[in-house]
Amino acid sequence: MSSRHRAVARRCIVAAVVVTQLAFVVRGYVADHKEFAFQMFPESSTWRADIVRVTVDGRRIPISEPWAGYRWSELAPVRGLAFPGRRRHADAGLDNQLAFLDAALDYVARNTPRDTETRYLEAVVTAWHNTDDPETIVLRSVERDVAGR
Amino acid sequence: MLERVDELLGRPVSMRAMALLRVLVGPIVLLHLRPILGDAMDGRIYRDHFHEPYASWYPELPRALYIGVLWLGAVAAVAMTLGVLARAATITAWAVVTYDLFLSTTNFHNNRAYLVIVLAALAVTPCDRELALDARWRAARRARRGLPPLPTASPGWPLWLLRFEAATVYGASGLSKLIDGDWFGGTVTWHRLVLVRDRLEASVLPPWAIDILTERSFHTVAAKVIVLTELFIAAGLWSRRTRDAAVWVAVCFHVAIQLSARVQVFSYLAIAALVIWAVPATRDRVVTIDPAVPAHRRLARALAALDWLARFEVRDGAAGGALAVTDRDGTVTYGWRAVARIASRLPLTAWFALPVVAGDRISRHVAPTRSAVP
Repeated sequence: MSSRHRAVARRCIVAAVVVTQLAFVVRGYVADHKEFAFQMFPESSTWRADIVRVTVDGRRIPISEPWAGYRWSELAPVRGLAFPGRRRHADAGLDNQLAFLDAALDYVARNTPRDTETRYLEAVVTAWHNTDDPETIVLRSVERDVAGR
Repeated sequence: MLERVDELLGRPVSMRAMALLRVLVGPIVLLHLRPILGDAMDGRIYRDHFHEPYASWYPELPRALYIGVLWLGAVAAVAMTLGVLARAATITAWAVVTYDLFLSTTNFHNNRAYLVIVLAALAVTPCDRELALDARWRAARRARRGLPPLPTASPGWPLWLLRFEAATVYGASGLSKLIDGDWFGGTVTWHRLVLVRDRLEASVLPPWAIDILTERSFHTVAAKVIVLTELFIAAGLWSRRTRDAAVWVAVCFHVAIQLSARVQVFSYLAIAALVIWAVPATRDRVVTIDPAVPAHRRLARALAALDWLARFEVRDGAAGGALAVTDRDGTVTYGWRAVARIASRLPLTAWFALPVVAGDRISRHVAPTRSAVP
């Protein structure tokens, strides 16, 4: 590679990294997951959630009770999700925390094959953005195909 | 303009700081991998519970192979620090840490992102030509063949890029807090501490300190200090006039964070990465000693052990001569000022010596006639 081509290659790599990094920083203001945005300790927000399994016959059973050999705390032990009934800090911000909770509901709905009665999981979330008044948000997992079992 | 940019990016500079960073980052990679490996040893890996892949096409390895890859990363981290196959080890450590990070959104944390960035910069830098067993063996081989040692300077662009990234970490964090009214106004820090008051009361903090820390008006000021500190570090690192102060403040800042929050490897990594702000030139300061003076000989030995950035060249001076440091601009410093000057340029002692040097500079500026030259 000639020195001219090498110089152009260096310039392109550096420009690409700088632009990409700045794009990630900007994206951090709108995305739930703020990869490479480096927004540290963004909020003092807290949250808690009552999560239930809604069965095919309409019962609403709290996930604090084990079911079909599953425990919520073992299915979702990461990102502060293990004990959702307790109010706790949303480490990386409320939007990020709720995105994780939403994804965790879907994960649990899709990865509990021994459960033959749950249609979907539902979380009634109480969220406190910093010192604001609490807000109630309802999150629901994907529908499980229990009819065909 | 483009020519100037090309000149800057292609200018050969010393990669000593990157070599030192490679040595320091090895244990940080181990620290990062330790809990993941610990879980794996207990039979748990990321996909045994909730995880969320970034992309369906991202390759997931069989369990045994995945655990093997983690161990490979740990071995590479050790090799990085020792400098055994250092370049390959650095690339391997980067690949393992990066692969694992992108397996799931749940793996992502800012400190891990910064670790990936630092490892990427090291991976594209020839940082294996110093502070490495490789370098010693290679030098011996080349000497046997009558060849000169490999150059330790190389185009500076990876170093400049890593500086940009390091400053971005502070700048992005500070900016996000600056434009957030709750943060800049003190609500976030105050509320956070009020919520954990029970933990504060169970800590070693005296009651009066807890009262201050949970006082709303304290945070009105403290939050602004935190935000401006981050922005000062981000901007101050770029100028040689403010760099020493920014480095000093950054160390205090990270120690405070480490003591008050759980941030995984962030504090260690951020403090280690401060070495990249050393001027990328080696042996450009001269320490002149009188070899007959035991204290001078001790200092020379200490320098040989602690001058990890290779900033000083030690020369024997005239008998009876004072200890002197000749800076790169030709300024000569003598006696205790020379000792303080040396200490301020060594990674292990810089934090303690920088205030002494700064204080002396200020006092000499205020009362220049007190300047002592033997």
